[in-house]
Amino acid sequence: MPRIYFKTADQYVEFAEGEEVNVLRMAIREDIDVPWQCASGNCGTDRLVVEEGAENLDPPRRRERARLGELVDEGYRLACQTYTRGDVTFSWDPDQVGLDDEPGDGGGSRTGWAGTG
Amino acid sequence: MAELMSSSEFRVALEQAFSGTMAKDASFSRAWATGKLHKQHFVHWATNHYHYIGPFGDYLGLMYANTPDHARDAKDFLLQNMYEEELSDDRHTDLLIRFAEACGGTREYVQDRNNAMPFAKGMQGWMYYVSGRENFVVSSAALIVGLESQVPSIYRTQYPTLINKYGFSEWEAEFFDLHITSDEIHGERGYQIVLKYADTPELQQRCLHYVREAADMRFAYTKALYETYVQPDLGPWVEEGEREPALVG
Repeated sequence: MPRIYFKTADQYVEFAEGEEVNVLRMAIREDIDVPWQCASGNCGTDRLVVEEGAENLDPPRRRERARLGELVDEGYRLACQTYTRGDVTFSWDPDQVGLDDEPGDGGGSRTGWAGTG
Repeated sequence: MAELMSSSEFRVALEQAFSGTMAKDASFSRAWATGKLHKQHFVHWATNHYHYIGPFGDYLGLMYANTPDHARDAKDFLLQNMYEEELSDDRHTDLLIRFAEACGGTREYVQDRNNAMPFAKGMQGWMYYVSGRENFVVSSAALIVGLESQVPSIYRTQYPTLINKYGFSEWEAEFFDLHITSDEIHGERGYQIVLKYADTPELQQRCLHYVREAADMRFAYTKALYETYVQPDLGPWVEEGEREPALVG
């Protein structure tokens, strides 16, 4: 069974063979603390480093390429924009905020509408 | 009398409630995904879709007003969803009109309510009713789980066809690409809210009822799109490999 390993949180999610799953959706579903804010590819809060398994991901979408720019070439993906069909490992800075936000902004609305438990 | 289901049992029940009548399997969706439609059919689709989802901010606003203060996370989700529909970037209805214009339609045609099917107006009325009159967890089940969470499965089959067969640019078809990803998250958040706040057997059963009804409504609406606009041009829908017209849509 393929799995997404969220290395920074040391948690993983398994999904059925043959499925393609959205990375952020799986993190939210399993209450894994990936930083995120807008879920539309606008803010860049949910940028993750692909440590292993890049070959199992779908190609970056237009919004993702526009938002990340050169970060795509450095191995970053946006969790909300990325689907995987196989094993993959991600890491991230747990304190990161949106690409247009300053550290200390608190990541905008994420804290306001997450954490349903 | 039904008993209270665990969170995992209830999630499976919600998923099963609409699995047999998903709009991606309706004739219009199948004809789209297999490249059978003409651009004029897309204009009709966009026009009807505009009158179906155009007031989505209204629906969410009604749900917001019906959500109690103690369910702050649910209220915030609805507000965020509303913001993303209308203000966070391009207004979603403008992206829809952009696609219609790329197909030869006009903003005026799309926005004219007289150009929508009765089925589209029925969908709109049903959504106003459910969002305005039902408990917030039931309306979340209906609109977010039953309708919005289906969107990625529909557009993930249609978007590649738009790019690869019809030659639309990513900019022209952005409405679809945006919703493939954003509605994954909205749908998941909808599940979380319903799983958390449907805390009695009665509420759980009412949620399941409305998820089924939502799926039936969207399936019938999507089927009607084919019968109204496509069937006169292409005849009854026949799935490839089948000899007779499909029975279900």
